[in-house]
Amino acid sequence: MRTDKLDILTLDELYALADKTGLDLPPGLERPFVVEEILEVLEEDSEDRREAQGEEVHIDEKKYSGLRIGDFDADIGLGDSLATRYNETMIRAIARDPSWAFAYWDVADADIEMLRGDEGAAGLFLRVAEIGPHGEHGDSQREYFDIPIADNDLQWYINLPRSGVRFRIDLCARRGGQAGKFRVLARSNEVESPRQSLAASAETLDPSSCELLALSGAEDIPLDDAPEGNPLRILPSGRGNRAD
Amino acid sequence: MKAAYLALVLNAHMPFVRRPEYPRFLEERWLYEAISETYLPLLRVFRSLEADAVPFHLTLSVSPTLAAMLGDKTLCERYVEYLDSQLRLAEAEEVRVGMDPAFGPLAGMYRALYAADKEDFLELYGRDILSALDFFYKKGRVELMTSSATHAFLPIFRDCREAVTSQVETAIIAHRKAFGKHPAGFWLPQLGWYPGVADVLRSYNVQYTVVTTRGAMLGEPTPRFGSFAPVECPSGLVAFIRDAGATKAVWSESTGYPADPVYRDFYRDIGFDLPAEYLDAHLENPGERIFTGFKYWSVTGRTEDKRPYDPAAAKTRAVQHAGRFLAERKTSAAAAAGLMDRPPLMVCPFDAELFGHWWFEGPAFLEALFRQVASAGGLGLTTLGDYLKDFPDNQKSVPEFSSWGDGGFAEVWLDGSNDWIYRHVAKAVERMSELAERFPDESGLRERILDQAAREVLLAMCSDWALLMRAGKSASFARRQVEEPIANFGRIYDMLCSNTVSTEWLTRLEKRDNLFPSINYRMFRRKR
Repeated sequence: MRTDKLDILTLDELYALADKTGLDLPPGLERPFVVEEILEVLEEDSEDRREAQGEEVHIDEKKYSGLRIGDFDADIGLGDSLATRYNETMIRAIARDPSWAFAYWDVADADIEMLRGDEGAAGLFLRVAEIGPHGEHGDSQREYFDIPIADNDLQWYINLPRSGVRFRIDLCARRGGQAGKFRVLARSNEVESPRQSLAASAETLDPSSCELLALSGAEDIPLDDAPEGNPLRILPSGRGNRAD
Repeated sequence: MKAAYLALVLNAHMPFVRRPEYPRFLEERWLYEAISETYLPLLRVFRSLEADAVPFHLTLSVSPTLAAMLGDKTLCERYVEYLDSQLRLAEAEEVRVGMDPAFGPLAGMYRALYAADKEDFLELYGRDILSALDFFYKKGRVELMTSSATHAFLPIFRDCREAVTSQVETAIIAHRKAFGKHPAGFWLPQLGWYPGVADVLRSYNVQYTVVTTRGAMLGEPTPRFGSFAPVECPSGLVAFIRDAGATKAVWSESTGYPADPVYRDFYRDIGFDLPAEYLDAHLENPGERIFTGFKYWSVTGRTEDKRPYDPAAAKTRAVQHAGRFLAERKTSAAAAAGLMDRPPLMVCPFDAELFGHWWFEGPAFLEALFRQVASAGGLGLTTLGDYLKDFPDNQKSVPEFSSWGDGGFAEVWLDGSNDWIYRHVAKAVERMSELAERFPDESGLRERILDQAAREVLLAMCSDWALLMRAGKSASFARRQVEEPIANFGRIYDMLCSNTVSTEWLTRLEKRDNLFPSINYRMFRRKR
């Protein structure tokens, strides 16, 4: 972003832009300081993202060379921003890579009231359960772990302990005064964490096939899964807290 | 039979950026630049090869949104206006730098480029690039594939079956309408594969697709020929495997061919070098600093002190790089050939716009490659469909979830900058399915409303906007491209629930988001 693009924005618009970029600026700043802060964070962010992406994605971006920089207003479409939530009790999970799944959820206002009133709920948590190996069917819960979440959380990235297995995530509420008791509010779809190592069948390949794999560039793919990498169970995502 | 085969696969795609309600719309220039620098130059390469009776074979995916825009009268009109504007700028440039021995000829080169584009577009193709591609399709030189309707990254929607099937079904219908044939191949946007997508594609009679090397190597069982032969999924879908070595030589921004110092520099453009007053007088978007397409400098190196671009030297280098590329493929094929019971196949998938738009000399590279393959012998060019006819039996294996984005999975399209999209899109798909179930046999106005609702849901699934949000480029615009169709869908949903219709608004929306005229909202009915 260049200065001349920011110059046409009002101070309020600059503050709004700063907010969008994650800057928490104190009120009453002089215009040049606001512009400088925005430029700095955008430049850093843009460079970080550029460096973090593959060649194909870089080239893909080249298609979009004539990008507008200011806000874009359409004459057809939305008047207000999209709702943050749909006031329903649900949870959905999406596999992102071998280590992380993205989960988003919601609890309907009526269910929250019911939990607070009738059941004296003592907090929400996610139960992440392994339900079987990759590529197989069946629904038998094997190992699981729980992640406490705040009432106003709506989404998290969840660290999956193992790749190449199927998981399911339950959105649960603890029952107040009843130690260990909880209620499953919603159950997610199944998530398959992809393998990051060669299939077991690779160990029985003949020497010719091993050589072909090496010629194909597969030598950097391990035969065994990497050990558990990230000790954190969750990572915050960009947006998605309940409005209240 | 050849000793080895090379299959070039190009993915031509642009997101739907048609905005007729604006007199000029900046993002439409993406399309015009791609037509001018990639699609028309590629067609010139095909014609040149045909004129010299050089056999060439290429697999080309034309995305449904690109096909919709290439066939749109308004955009074709505007493209001619764009060319006229570029020609006026070229004339002004010839006046400005005409006497300069280095830059004068370059201004003339751009005038000749845009003049050739205009003549080809108007006189030769009658504004119909799709028919020009179809000509080579029917001749068997170019095999056309389709891709997701709006370039959706399908692994993210794997648990929303209607989201995936609607993308595939709409794409296939659009392809048949544009080219009169059922597509045998399906380009997965970003090479985004997940195991279940094979069943979906096969259920629509798609025969093949392309996957990443890593996705295939992580498959079960491990492909015994590595990336030198495709694998077949249990459903019968064949997955061709990208040749990692071949593609890196062309893709890499830092070490690939396009980074050669003699090639034209993409970034140095008069749109950012010259005074605003001069540019404002010649461009359609006064006040906007944009890439004009007029670039006078060579890559040179990591320096601001660039050397003037020398087209003759660059073309010579493109021919040399084609020779090097071919020699390396032959070496690779020779190493693999003795280890296989069939000729090795090397599949090289690229974005089409890499050739010409980003890598200005890319079309010259391709032409030289085709000519050298034809004259050298040993290595044969093939399309993916032709290869399957010759080698229908392939190892059974299922590739792993994968993409060609950074990290190899879904990291690019699912991170803190863009993950908010999926709650809304999944809800829209769910509600669209609900509408399709509630109104299975509508006609007249209500059918129009439902069809438009289906278009809006598809538009919201476009992966390009998530990519731009993550890249931090024009995030506000990209965000709007998702929010708008979601909001439009929400308005339609509310209309149908309350049985009130704003026909004026609907008609305006239909005129703007006019892609997929044969869309059938019933494809969102839940599959039983």
